[in-house]
Amino acid sequence: MTTTSYLQSAEFLSTTVKAVSEVTLAPSDTDDDGEHVVPFDLRQWLARLRLLEGVPFAYLVADSALLPLESIRFFYVDRRWTDALVQGALSVGTVTSDDRSRLEQLYPVVRSEVDDAERRVRPVGGEGAKSASGTITGFLLRSKAVSGWPGMHVRAYDRELPEGDNAIIPEGDTRRLRLLRLERLAPAVLLALFDGIPAIVHIEEPRRGIQFGIRLDASGNPPTTFAPWIPPRDTQDPQKVINAKVPVPCRPGSPGVLDFDHLNKALIARADTHMGAEIDSAEFALEALRFPYRQVFGDVSNPVGRLADVFQPSVRIRAALGEGTRSLVERFETGLS
Amino acid sequence: MPQPGFFILHPAVLPPLTAGGYTLHSEIEDMPHGPIAPLDAHITVSSPRFTMPPEQILSTYPPANRAGSFQASLPQIVLKRRTLPWERLLDPSDEHLPWLALVVVAEGEASLSAEARVEDCVTPGTALPHLEDRDTATSVYLSVTQTVVNGVFPTKGDVRLLAHVREVDVHDTELMGGDDDGFVSVVIANRLPQPAFDDQGNPIPRKYLACLINLEGQAAVLPPPVPDHVDFTFEFEATAVVQDLRGLSDAYADHPDLFVMGAGAVNPHPKTAVGPSAAVDTATAAVRTGSAWSQEIAAIDAASVSATAEQAPSLVRDAMASGWRIPIEAYVVEPTYRFPVLAHWSFTVSGDPTFEELMKGLDVGLIGTLVGDLPPKTPAQIEKEKHRTPPPAPARPAPELAETGHVGLPHQTRRGDHVDAWFRGPASPHPTVREQPVDGRLPLAHTSDQLRIVVPDGREDISLAAAFEIGRLLALSQPAVVNALLRWRQEQFGAERAARLAAEVNESIGLLAGLFDQRHPGLGALIGRQFVLAAADRPDEVLAPTRPLVDPGRPLTYARGDLDKLVADGLGFSLEAVNRVAEQIGVVAALAEARVASVDERDPGLDGAGFAALRAGLDQAVTSLATDVLKQRGTPGPNTVTVTASARKQDALDQLLHSLEEQP
Repeated sequence: MTTTSYLQSAEFLSTTVKAVSEVTLAPSDTDDDGEHVVPFDLRQWLARLRLLEGVPFAYLVADSALLPLESIRFFYVDRRWTDALVQGALSVGTVTSDDRSRLEQLYPVVRSEVDDAERRVRPVGGEGAKSASGTITGFLLRSKAVSGWPGMHVRAYDRELPEGDNAIIPEGDTRRLRLLRLERLAPAVLLALFDGIPAIVHIEEPRRGIQFGIRLDASGNPPTTFAPWIPPRDTQDPQKVINAKVPVPCRPGSPGVLDFDHLNKALIARADTHMGAEIDSAEFALEALRFPYRQVFGDVSNPVGRLADVFQPSVRIRAALGEGTRSLVERFETGLS
Repeated sequence: MPQPGFFILHPAVLPPLTAGGYTLHSEIEDMPHGPIAPLDAHITVSSPRFTMPPEQILSTYPPANRAGSFQASLPQIVLKRRTLPWERLLDPSDEHLPWLALVVVAEGEASLSAEARVEDCVTPGTALPHLEDRDTATSVYLSVTQTVVNGVFPTKGDVRLLAHVREVDVHDTELMGGDDDGFVSVVIANRLPQPAFDDQGNPIPRKYLACLINLEGQAAVLPPPVPDHVDFTFEFEATAVVQDLRGLSDAYADHPDLFVMGAGAVNPHPKTAVGPSAAVDTATAAVRTGSAWSQEIAAIDAASVSATAEQAPSLVRDAMASGWRIPIEAYVVEPTYRFPVLAHWSFTVSGDPTFEELMKGLDVGLIGTLVGDLPPKTPAQIEKEKHRTPPPAPARPAPELAETGHVGLPHQTRRGDHVDAWFRGPASPHPTVREQPVDGRLPLAHTSDQLRIVVPDGREDISLAAAFEIGRLLALSQPAVVNALLRWRQEQFGAERAARLAAEVNESIGLLAGLFDQRHPGLGALIGRQFVLAAADRPDEVLAPTRPLVDPGRPLTYARGDLDKLVADGLGFSLEAVNRVAEQIGVVAALAEARVASVDERDPGLDGAGFAALRAGLDQAVTSLATDVLKQRGTPGPNTVTVTASARKQDALDQLLHSLEEQP
């Protein structure tokens, strides 16, 4: 068989058609971790898009009543919505049906690769492993705290921590969920995305706020009288929390001026602080230092392992069940009537 | 070295030698050739005294020129050298007593001087030891009255507690901020700066000046320690005023040059007695402060960016001190004191809630929770809310919100109709189900319209369609992304196609392996042509199913049975007769001979009588029809007719009916 006759044969024709119609891309990109079909830059960009980078705020929160002043709103990320974003981006430049059919062939690979890249967008170490659920959750925080305390720490854990709310958890704790994105969308709006469903979320004051902090109890009407106090701390074991208030003596007539000499004497007089009898500014500093405040979000009444149970939605989605038991919500979602 | 995230506190780090002049006296004895003259070497141990070198200041809290809720934290300054607060002896018997103190004064409580000779920077009459030990020729000083010293300054016991050393991990940048050895000394103020309050008790911003002062020689001026046996007060009234001398600033405003030129000591005015409670209305003064502070911040910012590099530090410092320029020494009768100021900065306490209060006051919920439908609040929460500013009432009605988190939004369709559509962003209050691949395939939308959904209530859900459009527009907005997408398609799809083809061919026939290795120049064109031909032959396999060129029409129900018979019947000739003739002369000739009944157009076969009969019949039919209609409509009245006529446009039948009704 000559070359020409082979190339014109029916066998070659069918091979050609098969090759073209079933084209799948072999791994082409080995820049970083493993082999990929989608080039590195494109994959990164799609992953960032998936994490809602650049999406106008009005499309994230359709009505300002959904995120009022001084509020925090937790949510699940609707993966169909983010998939639609990616599909829209991929549709750019598909001119012919040929382009589209090829893209359709490739799409499952593209999606799983972007899923993978999503978790590598934010390079951080020491956070827990990739969650098995593939669910992405997050919160939007709109508060003066976001604008006034830049750099606050956000941590999420996949279960209730038996150590307690104020325990110091190592950075590399395996229960900690990976933080996919933490960004200020506006001066007072913070967006956080987690890889998984958190059971509790810690928001902590920035550490640069380690000062001598005094707690103030307001009283009076209008509340302009303040009673300052500090929580005592055991100088032998500073992590130990002593549930007590030590009132701070004030200088009469001078608002905010405190009498540290006598506060120190009062602290020395307490047995549980284990302070020496000498006047020692280091021990005193330990007592008066105010550690960064940590706000814990979780279920207060019913400690359970899943956020889905914590924030009880009144209608649950049961997709795994048959057609007959599909809930109204799901039919609403998929548009079936 | 402490671990990251931890730091160690030390009460003090004492220098081997405090600052000052020393004489190193050396004698050598018992030398065989007689005594050797003793040698005196003079050493000066220097240390900052009247000004703090900027590189020694690591950080300040509150940050300079910032406004914020600093009312629950003590201001502090972090110094780089660990021994700094103990390098001078305030009291020779107590080397643990720091010579530095951080004092915080509000506007109107003190006065910060212009640059003055260091000899003038201490209270007149105070003799500083070794005044020749100076790090600078001029510095600034803080003038305060006895009232303010007693009200605001720390006692000697306080001063000792307010300085310490922290040893932190050098890699922990948050705590370190650029130190090299990990040891920093911290000097803390003894005053919680409070905001001012208006008549309703609402906090209004108040400006404070923090000064790191040198206490040398003036430790006795500090307020006496409170005796141990008195009853302490454990609360303070934030609206109280230590002293407010701002009322004097009006007088000062008349002759500002006297002060600026350093003539503050020469008093052209008679002395005015000003007691601890100056005759200034606190509230008005506070309001004035509140309105002025933002301008001052702007002025400081302007100075920092517009001045030349050499002048900027002094101009900024000068602008920061603008609220503390009252020449109080010239006006008050009570004793005043001067303290050298090594560093100073101003900040504004706004009285906003603290981080903790803000966090505890947050409205927590899943997305889709409106403020209105929260669970009932506990009494503790209600009590707490009384103390914070209530969130403003929503100015417009709550949005239409579905259980699923969808919001009803006005939607203008492409045809221009105004309808309501459902929309939900990526944030959902429920877990959603993601599409999973079926046989390795996933549904992929190519246009946003493919993602539009009509929900059971008849409205459209355009969430996903909107997401698609946003993704498309975001990609299009970045030429680099568009370029990357196109390049990916062209290069890699094309290359992959050729590689795949070669592999397939090699697999099927080993003969041609050499051909593909040689890369025959005509091969690409040949493959392309073959592909186009194949694609044209079987487009439904290669590209996508195509629509047939012609759609089948509507089936004709009556057109059943034998077609010939149907045609013959329709044309009105006998099929049997034609068939019979066709056996003899052929079908074509038989059809040509078959006679088809037709009407001669030129002779319709009607004469004048026929037309008259037809016309009469038509008239009769029309009349009977019209009469029937008129009967059904009842008796024609003027009202009925008017209404009908105005209700719609008249047509020919209406005109006919009118003409009939008008006939007698």
